[in-house]
Amino acid sequence: MAAIETRGLVRSFGDVEAVAGVDLDVADGEIYAFLGPNGAGKTTTVRMLVTLLRPTGGTARVAGYDVAERPDDVRRSIGVALQEAALDPLMTGRELMRLQATLHRIPRAKGRERADALLQRVGLVEAADRRVGTYSGGMRRRLDLAMALIHEPRVLFLDEPTTGLDPTSRQAIWDEVRKLNDEGATVFLTTQYLEEADRLADRVGIIDAGRMVAEDTPSALKAEAGRPHLEVSLAEGDKRQAEGILARFGAVPATHDGVVSVELEHGAAQVAQVVRALDEAGLAVGSLDLVEPTLDDVFAAKTGHRLEGAGAEPE
Amino acid sequence: MEAAALPMSRAGAHLPAVGLLMRRAVYEVVRVPGAAIPGALAPTLFMLGLTATFGNLTKLPGFTTDDFMSFIVPVGILQGATFSGAATGVNLARDIEQGWFDRLLAAPVPRSALLAGIVLSASLRSLLPITMLLVAAFALGVEFPGVGGLVLAIAIAAAFGAAIACYSTALALRFRTQAAAPLMQAGAFMAVLFTTSYAPLELLTGVLHDVAAVNPVTEIVEAVRQGFVGGVTWGGTWPGLLALVGIGAVLFALALRGLRRTGR
Repeated sequence: MAAIETRGLVRSFGDVEAVAGVDLDVADGEIYAFLGPNGAGKTTTVRMLVTLLRPTGGTARVAGYDVAERPDDVRRSIGVALQEAALDPLMTGRELMRLQATLHRIPRAKGRERADALLQRVGLVEAADRRVGTYSGGMRRRLDLAMALIHEPRVLFLDEPTTGLDPTSRQAIWDEVRKLNDEGATVFLTTQYLEEADRLADRVGIIDAGRMVAEDTPSALKAEAGRPHLEVSLAEGDKRQAEGILARFGAVPATHDGVVSVELEHGAAQVAQVVRALDEAGLAVGSLDLVEPTLDDVFAAKTGHRLEGAGAEPE
Repeated sequence: MEAAALPMSRAGAHLPAVGLLMRRAVYEVVRVPGAAIPGALAPTLFMLGLTATFGNLTKLPGFTTDDFMSFIVPVGILQGATFSGAATGVNLARDIEQGWFDRLLAAPVPRSALLAGIVLSASLRSLLPITMLLVAAFALGVEFPGVGGLVLAIAIAAAFGAAIACYSTALALRFRTQAAAPLMQAGAFMAVLFTTSYAPLELLTGVLHDVAAVNPVTEIVEAVRQGFVGGVTWGGTWPGLLALVGIGAVLFALALRGLRRTGR
């Protein structure tokens, strides 16, 4: 059974179609990244999948339950950490964990045990009895994640889980997501960060203007976007001669800024051959750069525009 | 992974969630007392101000007591409850704006239990202004209404606070912004204003008299006033209870409808 399955999922707000017929199939145990710019329809899709928003068209099933017809069954099966971790600043981390356990009707003793174990897991034991208002952004995200796990959900929804986090906190969340997935959880995450989708996801769905524009594994999507480029800066020697040599390995675009490049026909494996050929011709290589296609290239190829902030590191 | 939750069928199984939501509302009072106390003092200040201004009204023929403060204390008790009820809606609007409410909506808790937790927190919070008011009133010589009269007054007022919380919750769910706060507060204030709060029905005139004569909240005011003015009787109690149940049922249904329509 698929963990998440949607067919022609639509959500309109008046005349605006925020989600315009999305089909998704996320298998049990998969990490699926939903990638797209702000306003693409990612959060609206997630809100429908977690029963916070009713679809205006199509169907969606999560953990085998229809989101419109059996929302309570869906809610029991999922963990949710939405954008901007919404936590009561007046409550302590431990109080919030227990509140979440109670909302999920976990018996008191078991709830305390789970809360303590999860606080330990996300590194918040020492801060557990402090008010959340004193937590950093990273601590709030980790607490939010722990709360989403209190009832051992089958499917975990993370809506932009690392937006606004520093690199260390971001890495901590990524590590935790991977661990959870290793333990069997299906993870559906939305992100506008290419690196996040690339490093975490088994498969990536790209959404733009409410429509799915591509879906596959990160490597397959990138392969579809083009071959890797090798960029060569010569320490000394004739650039035209270098272009002639590189042309034996693939298409050679125009030289710019003194850099000669080649689109490797058979991929990165050809790098050593290129270096040998240049050396045999007496051309001294100053530097080499292998440039792989990115998910942003995929996005640009599919939509004609680039992701906002593409290529930039997340904050 | 395995689910650790209890089975769903047990009656009252969501009472702990209701209790925790009520406790969360108490944290707001206990942990930021500086924010809660000024509002909680308002009914006491009203009582003192109104008594100083209109204390001589009792000399009018037909006034039902010669002690205006005893006459106005029940109004202060109801004001404490209505202010708490209106604040519940404002706080809910804040929770909606900040995303906290989504956490509750994404949990497998029946909407009626969520609503109960929210509105009963108003009853609980109303005990603070009511207690402050009563301490001041008794210190200033208001006659003790008897345990029965006091318990009845507090219980009815607390329940009325929950009813007003239903009203403000319905508005919070409709407008989803704290900008709707004046609407919540004005409605709650007017519910008590157009009654026999400040003078007996016989002494009211014009529109105020006509509205107070048919306003069911008048019955609630009079039920709370028992013990402070006159004795406590079943005949003086049941119309208030009936009005309370009617108003509460309508407003609870309205708020529940709003909650169930959230996300549509």
